[in-house]
Amino acid sequence: MRPHSSLKQEFVKKWMAGLQRCSFSNKNMSILERKKAIKLSADVAMASVRNSTTCWSRALISSASKDGSDNHLVEQILGPETESNRPAMANKAQTRRASVCKKIVKRSRRIRRRGRRKCVAAAPAKALTSTIAKHLVRKRTQVLKSLIPGGEFMNEICLIEETLDYITSLRIQVDVMRSLAAGASVRASE
Amino acid sequence: MESNAGTTETRSNLTASDGGEVTAFESLQFTDKIHRLILAPTTDNASSFTALLELPPPQAVELLHSPDSPKLIAASPPNVEVFEGSFRFPSNTGLIERDARFSVFSGEANNSNEKRNSPESKNVIANLEKNVKTEPAETESSQPTVEKRSIKRKNRENKVKGSTKKSKTAANESSEDAEKLPYVHVRARRGQATDSHSLAERARREKINARMKLLQELVPGCNKISGTALVLDEIINHVQSLQRQVEFLSMKLAAVNPRIDFNLDSVFTSESGGSLMDSNFPSLVMPAMWPEVQGNGHTQQYQHQWHLDALQQPVWGREEVCNNYITPENSLLTYDSSANSATLQANQLKMEL
Repeated sequence: MRPHSSLKQEFVKKWMAGLQRCSFSNKNMSILERKKAIKLSADVAMASVRNSTTCWSRALISSASKDGSDNHLVEQILGPETESNRPAMANKAQTRRASVCKKIVKRSRRIRRRGRRKCVAAAPAKALTSTIAKHLVRKRTQVLKSLIPGGEFMNEICLIEETLDYITSLRIQVDVMRSLAAGASVRASE
Repeated sequence: MESNAGTTETRSNLTASDGGEVTAFESLQFTDKIHRLILAPTTDNASSFTALLELPPPQAVELLHSPDSPKLIAASPPNVEVFEGSFRFPSNTGLIERDARFSVFSGEANNSNEKRNSPESKNVIANLEKNVKTEPAETESSQPTVEKRSIKRKNRENKVKGSTKKSKTAANESSEDAEKLPYVHVRARRGQATDSHSLAERARREKINARMKLLQELVPGCNKISGTALVLDEIINHVQSLQRQVEFLSMKLAAVNPRIDFNLDSVFTSESGGSLMDSNFPSLVMPAMWPEVQGNGHTQQYQHQWHLDALQQPVWGREEVCNNYITPENSLLTYDSSANSATLQANQLKMEL
């Protein structure tokens, strides 16, 4: 693949370390719990590879450490150095959420006002293709925002940059997991 | 500060323009800088404004912008001649005024006070900046208005460049400066609106389009599609499919292994076998592994663990869910596994050797 090997190595290292630590905590787990633990540790490892340089990684880690049950896992994967960072991240998430709520309220007010005006003005006029296109694009950006962790807090430019980064990290994750699964299943078949 | 300017005997163009510059820039938060500029000579050997005049202009701007003293020494006197030679080009004021009208932040330039003085003084500053070796605007990053000024200067610089004799290094520096500035130059094209809002919007749109192009290259199959909505559709599909793959693979891994800790050494060896098939880790896992393998003595251990894991398979039989998962996957993978096992055996042979 492209020069992702260093990233892959880092990701694999962190993931394996996280899985090891996770296994010590709970010996007997159902398959769903295991799957959850695997996915969680993979996600957190992937996010920590970015070292909080990107918005989605920070959002991922903060959402993962929000739940009490997964907290210890996240701690162990990230290491003791990041414990000081996490309260800051949690605060950031809270402030971001507050700002997002304010934005939503403002937006709703604006839309209500526009809706009233548009109903009056647009009824006689035909809908322009540009407005339709804008509407479609806006819908899709909303969907994209819901997909990417922490996407609701970003403006359009940041959103596109974050998608780029997120897609590359997801690809790395999928590659690693796929080869691991292939190898493990080969072993299982023997 | 104006008394200082008044008391100087040598009234060159420089003093007049500097005085004008002082009055012109007052509104733009330069007063404190100018104060410093004028007071700064006390730190130097001279104690009046004339001493500042004796300093070559780059040094003056250095005092203005950065406190790096060694660079003051580095600036050489010949720059004064260059400066003086390049100061007189009245023909360019027309260009400069056109620049002033069309630049992004042209709203600021339209202060009536500055109409006359600004082209000249900005010329001065442009020339000063051309000869400065370091990036002055970088140090003022905290003040956006200063940067806007420097952008205007750069705009004029770009216009004025051709007409002045400049060293190549200065030209390179100005281009480098342009890259380092956080703002982007936007020149209004013919027939387009020139108010700052539409220009800023256009800059933003260009940014977004540039990044969308990158995304199009990244996501397979997006190159042929035109139109933002469809491209976004493809990107959304791609991200969703990747996320679903991650979920599926994590479920698969959970099914294959009853214990999460995977028995790392064996996992890495099997992974190397899988990687040979995938060619995804060209040499990734192997070098990662070989440092762990200390000598050939370990290879026998690996084979041992392999057998142990094979023995543990009947243990998995207790989990019916596990079995259900394994069998369809095995049927899927029998096609691959034969190739895999062959490569793995080849690997083992190599390790033994």
